Amino acid sequence: MPSAALPSLHDTRRGSLSCVGLGMTLGSHLTPLARSHIEQADVVFAALSDAIAEEWLKRMHPDVRSLQPNYAEGKPRIKTYREWVALMMAELRAGKRVCGVFYGHPGIFAWSPHKVIEQARAEGYEAHMEPGISAEDCLYADLGIDPGTYGCQHFEASQLMYWERRIDPAGYLVLWQVGIIGNRSVGRFDIGPAYRALLVERLGQDYPPDHEVIIYRGATLPIEHPCIQRITLRELVDVPLTAEETVVLPPAVTLQPNRAMLDRLQALDAKRREATAA
Amino acid sequence: MSDTIKLLETIGSDASLRYASADELNGVLKHAQASVELTMAVTTGDCATLRVELTVQGMPHFPQTQVPGQEDEEETDVPQPEPQPAPSPSPSRVKRARRAE
Repeated sequence: MPSAALPSLHDTRRGSLSCVGLGMTLGSHLTPLARSHIEQADVVFAALSDAIAEEWLKRMHPDVRSLQPNYAEGKPRIKTYREWVALMMAELRAGKRVCGVFYGHPGIFAWSPHKVIEQARAEGYEAHMEPGISAEDCLYADLGIDPGTYGCQHFEASQLMYWERRIDPAGYLVLWQVGIIGNRSVGRFDIGPAYRALLVERLGQDYPPDHEVIIYRGATLPIEHPCIQRITLRELVDVPLTAEETVVLPPAVTLQPNRAMLDRLQALDAKRREATAA
Repeated sequence: MSDTIKLLETIGSDASLRYASADELNGVLKHAQASVELTMAVTTGDCATLRVELTVQGMPHFPQTQVPGQEDEEETDVPQPEPQPAPSPSPSRVKRARRAE
């Protein structure tokens, strides 16, 4: 049922900020509330993964400013993201209603939206985030994975290289940005197999070399289909990968019962039954 | 000729079109007087022609995520993970999977 016509409320006294997600697929994932944030903003900043999606966004607002030109070869990624925050804050301080539009979900694997909201609130501005359909959401649907069944760990791939992290091979493992592993500052996006070999060596501590690895890329345009490739762990070293692909490792070991905890749960159950019977 | 962006938005938001076969979709697009580039992209699965039509460049392969890398973190105030207790060794014996799917 269509909603009743109500006037929108705008606080014209000072600026406000919203960070919204466009979802992953053009036309399919944008929520009504995110669209409303875009349409009601004075200025819209866009950090999207596809130029066609950016063109679509321009149909929703006359002042869409792309943040992509701030990326540059050899430029530390954090510098780019700081510039994004500064651009949005400048308009906010000028009293504008600012909307930052990010592909997928604005708060998942995204530094700038969290930072700009934090900064805006610290300066007394109203600021909040609207969730969007993320690459992770699409992955579950397209691969038929339920993270509740065996559990699911997510890592930005370099986390496994730079830090001592514990992988649980009884659950799913999802690795982001494997295609640019070893690219520490993300000043360049082409990385040789030697870097990837180190990641495979690390994964080899928890998985056999012939373990299945799924290479996944979701659809960004509605005439595309998701790309799903199944290889072995040893093949991961040489398979062509871009920054757009995500790597998924299905469970490698069966779940082991926690006997001690099960015994304690049984004891609690028995106590409850006794109390009920008394 | 129809507006390609508008057609893409319609396809993306219509349950019968979003997962239609290329033949079915091209039938609908022909009726809607879609551009040659759009129908070609549907047929071939390659959207390069669309980018030419819309005069947009394919964006370089930027990260799927927007989080700083390690080197970035060292020179900024990006929060570092809290120090963790020394992890226990990884399992040395790896069993074959009971497939979850």
